[in-house]
Amino acid sequence: MEEVDKILIHSLRQVGTEVGEDVLSVKQFSSELIVEAVVRCLRVIEPSLGSGLSHVLPPGMSARFRLGMSLAQACQDLGYKGEIGYQTFLYSNEPEIRSLLMFLVERLRRESAESSDQPAGKSALLQRAIGAKIKAQLSVPWVPPSCRVPFLCQSQTPGSLHGFHARPLSLPQSSKVSRTTTKELKEYCQEHLPPVTAQMSQQPSVPASLLEWHAAELSAALEWEGEWNSQGLVSRLTPEEYKARKRQRFRKRIQDQLRHAAQSRSDSQHASRSSSDLADLLRSFTGGAGGRDVLAKGTRFTHTEKFAFTQEPEKAAQQMTTAAESLPSSRRTEQDLQAQQEEEVTSLQGQLEQLSLRIEEVGADVKKITVAISQVSDELKQKELGNAEKEQSLRVKKQTMDLLPDAENNLDKLQVLVEGSAKRVVSLASQWEKHRAPLIEEHRRLKELCSSRELESTRRLSEIKGLHEKIRQAAEEAKKKEGLYRQLMTEFETLPKDVSRSAYTQRILEIVGNIKKQKEEITKILSDTKDLQKEINSLTGKLDRTFAVTDELVFKDAKKDESVRKAYKYLAALHENCTQLIQTIEDTGTIMREIRDLEEQIETENGKKTVSNLEKILEDYKAIRQENSALAAKIREA
Amino acid sequence: MELSEFVQRGLQYLTDTDYFDSKTFTVFIKVAFQSLLSSHSDHAILGGPEFRHVDQTLLKHCHVATTTCILEFVKQNADKSTISTCLEDLKYDPERIDMFCNEYQKNKSDLEHLLASLGRCPPQICDVAWRLEYQIKNSHVHKVNKPSYLITFNVENSGARSPEEIHFSCTMEQLQDLLGKMKDAAKSLEKATQM
Repeated sequence: MEEVDKILIHSLRQVGTEVGEDVLSVKQFSSELIVEAVVRCLRVIEPSLGSGLSHVLPPGMSARFRLGMSLAQACQDLGYKGEIGYQTFLYSNEPEIRSLLMFLVERLRRESAESSDQPAGKSALLQRAIGAKIKAQLSVPWVPPSCRVPFLCQSQTPGSLHGFHARPLSLPQSSKVSRTTTKELKEYCQEHLPPVTAQMSQQPSVPASLLEWHAAELSAALEWEGEWNSQGLVSRLTPEEYKARKRQRFRKRIQDQLRHAAQSRSDSQHASRSSSDLADLLRSFTGGAGGRDVLAKGTRFTHTEKFAFTQEPEKAAQQMTTAAESLPSSRRTEQDLQAQQEEEVTSLQGQLEQLSLRIEEVGADVKKITVAISQVSDELKQKELGNAEKEQSLRVKKQTMDLLPDAENNLDKLQVLVEGSAKRVVSLASQWEKHRAPLIEEHRRLKELCSSRELESTRRLSEIKGLHEKIRQAAEEAKKKEGLYRQLMTEFETLPKDVSRSAYTQRILEIVGNIKKQKEEITKILSDTKDLQKEINSLTGKLDRTFAVTDELVFKDAKKDESVRKAYKYLAALHENCTQLIQTIEDTGTIMREIRDLEEQIETENGKKTVSNLEKILEDYKAIRQENSALAAKIREA
Repeated sequence: MELSEFVQRGLQYLTDTDYFDSKTFTVFIKVAFQSLLSSHSDHAILGGPEFRHVDQTLLKHCHVATTTCILEFVKQNADKSTISTCLEDLKYDPERIDMFCNEYQKNKSDLEHLLASLGRCPPQICDVAWRLEYQIKNSHVHKVNKPSYLITFNVENSGARSPEEIHFSCTMEQLQDLLGKMKDAAKSLEKATQM
């Protein structure tokens, strides 16, 4: 029992029950401890059952009773077969508690074993590793900076930090990989491209950039794989073709978008304004309120800029002319010069305005004229068409008119002609039929072939897909298994070695050996008993027989001799006494056995702590009565 | 351990004995570790006499692959078994794997330090001093009569050798709030260790 109790207490401690150091066996468990142990076990086995129960025994008697009842119910729900009720917890006796705890601990083992079959996820592993690291760092005391030894410096000195700045890297393109590398690119890679670690101006951004680049590469590969498996395989193209088609599709879409935007813009706005301005175009095509402002500002800026730049040569020319004019008359006063300049400017501006007005007018005229031209050309086309039709009809009518004078003859000729052509049509049709039949046959055959091929290819495709799926699954499973193996290995390594599986097994083996020895002894004793029984039996038989023979002989002689009669009497008395003696011995044996049984019973009854439990019950009864009376008093007061 | 195709190809070139015999390989691996750890960038690391016979583009490709793979190993805190399985998948022979692992073990702590130095970290509080201040009145209010705490944190800043100080004042409630938050943080840390 000691061993069992030790194992039980060990596993209860693992669950989180606070079993004191001095508690060595189940006998010493108090009600509080039992309740706590059971609730903790329930929480681990079945969180939904255990979460509603408190692991502290409440002070009120009725609450205790209720807790006991619900605990008993929960244990029965788990499948506990033994006798259980509130009394098990409140008025405990050792064997019942032991069997209950054994049941719970057994369940505990199985549950935890099941859960450890599943490999923990990557994040869980990482979290565990982080936890371990934090634990290690927490266990080290803090040391002021000036006293730190190098070992502590790593964890306690923050060290100089650099931000995570990833920058694009220029990577060498091997000629083996991509065939499309140009000669210049090749030369650049060969001669001028610095090694990756020398590309950054700041050294700390090298690892950052490399890690970032690699992560991007990996995720891109993953995405491509997903897309290829979902869409690419179905399209029955090679990866390159698929990529090319996708690129084409995108290009077309962008083109469409751009064209659409350009059109809508040129429709809605003034036509004379240039629509090739990309910024304008983008503005009309983002359409959003937020983006519009920013872009509008940008475009206004570009417009003014453009304006300034286009005006500049003109301005320069102007300045040149004014300078040339002002040169000979440089002695004129400043004011005159200014006045003249202003005049000139105003006149030029006037001219400019006039010119622009005229340009606009002329532009409008031109537009009108082009519209008119297009209208006129349309009309012309229609007229020409009508003309041609009319000419055709005229020709037919002219021919018939020519034929009219010699009507009969011509009719005959015409009929012959018609018949001949009809015959020709028939013969041609038959010929056509002749040609058509095999062609149609061929067509049908090819079609069938095509469809069968298609079927085949779909079948193959589905097969390939299945295979892909299988491969993926197998790989995943392998990875999972490997992870599990590694995890279990690490767990195995971290397991406390001193809790000695070997000690347990040794003990178990010892116990088994003991049991074997005991069994042997029992069989020995049994055979001894049997031997004894046999001996007794034979002895009794011998005695009986001897007695019968002696009895007979003595009885025969007794009739003749007086002394022999006496001897016979003695013999009978002796026999009777001996029988009595044997009887007495047997009786003593049974009584002894009964005594032993009774003693055992007393022991078990003692083990049930009946007296103390009864006292407890009495106390609890009193407490309940008190509670009841207090409640009644409260009611009365109310 | 996942490595991208580019990296895998680069690592596979390293197994090719036409380009890299074992001596060149050793030198190359050493150079790769050095180039990650050296504080100044050196353009001529791949120009050594050992690499004369190797195509420069290929050499650069291998260099990218090796450095990336080293960084990934350090990032994942890979142990020797993980590295050897990963390299075995790429058809490395045991001798080269051993060589790589030795070099890795030699430089691991430095590389860890290098990776740990990326990122930001708030300053660490290492000491605190406080003073209780009682405000009787101020220029706006005639009668204030409120206590407040003047707190000075001595913080150890990243990189800076001398400790800095942070001063602030707070009311009783704010201080209690701060204390509560600190306790919470400590508790969460405890909880994290029990995962």
